[in-house]
Amino acid sequence: MKKQTRKKWLATFLAFSLLIGTTMGCSSKPSTASSGTGQNSAATGSGKKVRVALCYSGVLGDKSFNDSAHAGAVKAEKDFGVEVKELQSTQSSDWESNFVSMADAGYDLVIGVSSQFEDIMKKHCPQYPNVKFAILDDQVSGKNIMSYKFAQNEGSFLAGAAAAMFTTKTDIKGINSQKVIGWVGGMDVPVLHDFLVGYEQGAKYIAPDIKILHAFAGSFSDPVKGKELTNAQYDEGADVVMNVASGTGTGVLEAAKERGAFAIGVDSNQDNIYPGSILTSEVKHVDVGTYNVIKNVVKGTFKGDSVNMLDVNNGGIQLTDMSVIKKALGDKFPSDITTKIEDLTSQIKSGKIKVNHYQGFTG
Amino acid sequence: MNFGKIFDYTLIYSTIRYSTPILFAALAATITQQADILNIGTEGIMLISAFVAVCVSYYSGSWLLAILAAMVIGVLMAMIMAVANLKCKADICAIGMAINMFALAVTKFGIKQFLGTTGTFTDPKIVGVPKIHIPAFDNIPFLNKTFNNWSFMEVFGIVLVFILYHILYRTVWGLRLRSVGRFPMAAETAGINVTKMKYEVMIISGIIGGLAGAHLSLGYTQMFTENMTNGRGFMGVAAMYFGGMNPVIAWIGCLLFGFTDTVGNRLQGYGWPSQFVLMLPYIITILVVSISLWRHTASEKKLKSSVIPAKKVKKGGIV
Repeated sequence: MKKQTRKKWLATFLAFSLLIGTTMGCSSKPSTASSGTGQNSAATGSGKKVRVALCYSGVLGDKSFNDSAHAGAVKAEKDFGVEVKELQSTQSSDWESNFVSMADAGYDLVIGVSSQFEDIMKKHCPQYPNVKFAILDDQVSGKNIMSYKFAQNEGSFLAGAAAAMFTTKTDIKGINSQKVIGWVGGMDVPVLHDFLVGYEQGAKYIAPDIKILHAFAGSFSDPVKGKELTNAQYDEGADVVMNVASGTGTGVLEAAKERGAFAIGVDSNQDNIYPGSILTSEVKHVDVGTYNVIKNVVKGTFKGDSVNMLDVNNGGIQLTDMSVIKKALGDKFPSDITTKIEDLTSQIKSGKIKVNHYQGFTG
Repeated sequence: MNFGKIFDYTLIYSTIRYSTPILFAALAATITQQADILNIGTEGIMLISAFVAVCVSYYSGSWLLAILAAMVIGVLMAMIMAVANLKCKADICAIGMAINMFALAVTKFGIKQFLGTTGTFTDPKIVGVPKIHIPAFDNIPFLNKTFNNWSFMEVFGIVLVFILYHILYRTVWGLRLRSVGRFPMAAETAGINVTKMKYEVMIISGIIGGLAGAHLSLGYTQMFTENMTNGRGFMGVAAMYFGGMNPVIAWIGCLLFGFTDTVGNRLQGYGWPSQFVLMLPYIITILVVSISLWRHTASEKKLKSSVIPAKKVKKGGIV
């Protein structure tokens, strides 16, 4: 009897320690990108090294938005010798605590990477007047906050136009006779709708009678769902599907490769993930935004309460030059697409084409 | 909206494709439930096996080896659960949850440690499970879209349903297993080693769970992403309840999940609000579990009123 109770206690203890161990593993996992210097000494600001923290609403390795921000931080680290700390988590409950802990730890600059940090920053930034903050992909007002926004609708306009032209090139293998294109998004959030509005406008600009299928996976990290949604759109007659879905998007791209159809990449240059299956990528230069804000802090030009727009005009948003698919398709590649895209790009730059925003999305 | 385009024959294969990962999970849960062990650790077993499968396939270039490794790791995880539950008498639900959380954390660590990346891992060097291509079907659109290019695992999943059905309802071992689940004391009296039986089903469950993971990362896709199971293990458990531990009915439950999800995916394309469509699989899960529980309580009542359960079990023990 006694032995049994002891066993029971042992089992409970083991189960409990496993539980504790795993929950701790699940939650925020701070990873230092720099060559680990002591972080506990909370020397605020005045030190030799500028300390920068990036908080992600996801994880690195999405080959998309987050990786792009990471690239900018790495470049700034090399150029200015700043210390960079990155906090990643897919759990939305961790984002706020990650962000606040970095502000508490006395970092000089804390960057909220993605619009998910909007509410968190509104709530907490006023409490840390000595810390500089920045948000990427959204806008938050505050004396110590710099915002970097992207005109993703303009890039999507170009992507939509490219897709609409490509779906009519029936001599290319994998293109059917139907004028249908697709679009798969991650979570149903306003930024993604802004992408979609531009995509639809661009496609309709080329072919007013085109049909555009769209779907949301409800997650930024479910490639299986992304693949299934894409396959469903291919079954419905689409042959080019754009992904705006971070980790879910890898499933979209894989579906394109497997079906012998085409996809469009997003955020980073994704053309090389499956060469020949990806028509082009809408590159959102999150790296430029990240790099610039760090540069501003280092050079002392940080300007609070300012909104910086990265768009087609200043090169913050662009389509890739399609060189990868050009190489894969050889002389079958329709060169009229690149000329048309160049033409449209200059028209957007000159303001001749005005790309709409999602209703209520502050442009 | 064109209903003809949504409900056409390509729906058949889409349904199979979507339901297969859930099916494997359901079968893994079914076999343990027959021995009265609620295996909610399926989700975690799937996730770890998916990771190991990708790792082994990437480094060895052999999908067969990868599946084997996935099954081994599946059994290992199942054995942790079995020892904790049967030897140390820990609550099976707590242990299952611990396994699920452990899987999330350890794969997150492993993807960084062994594959040198974070989040998602894709590489052309990952060798997937081959697809069965029948050239004769190529020119007939219906056959081509419905029966061509099935993954080997999709076929095996369906075969496995009937293998398990046969084992459970047509063999002595199956009969004994069911008696262990219904009334362990009576089974013990009839000379069945209950503990051994429970270990055996956990091993089988680990093997099937390993297959589920390998299918997800090598059959369905050729990649690994953090938390790529996304609740599919739990949906498998729901399908098991729907089937009332019968593999064939559980399979039908899985097909139901697959069907609603594929139709949902197509409806989204036509402008149905994503919030509504994404809700469908969960509504179906709730419905399915409620119906099966209602059926379960109804049959329980009948059982109690007519015969005492011990009599039934003893009959099983003698065979």
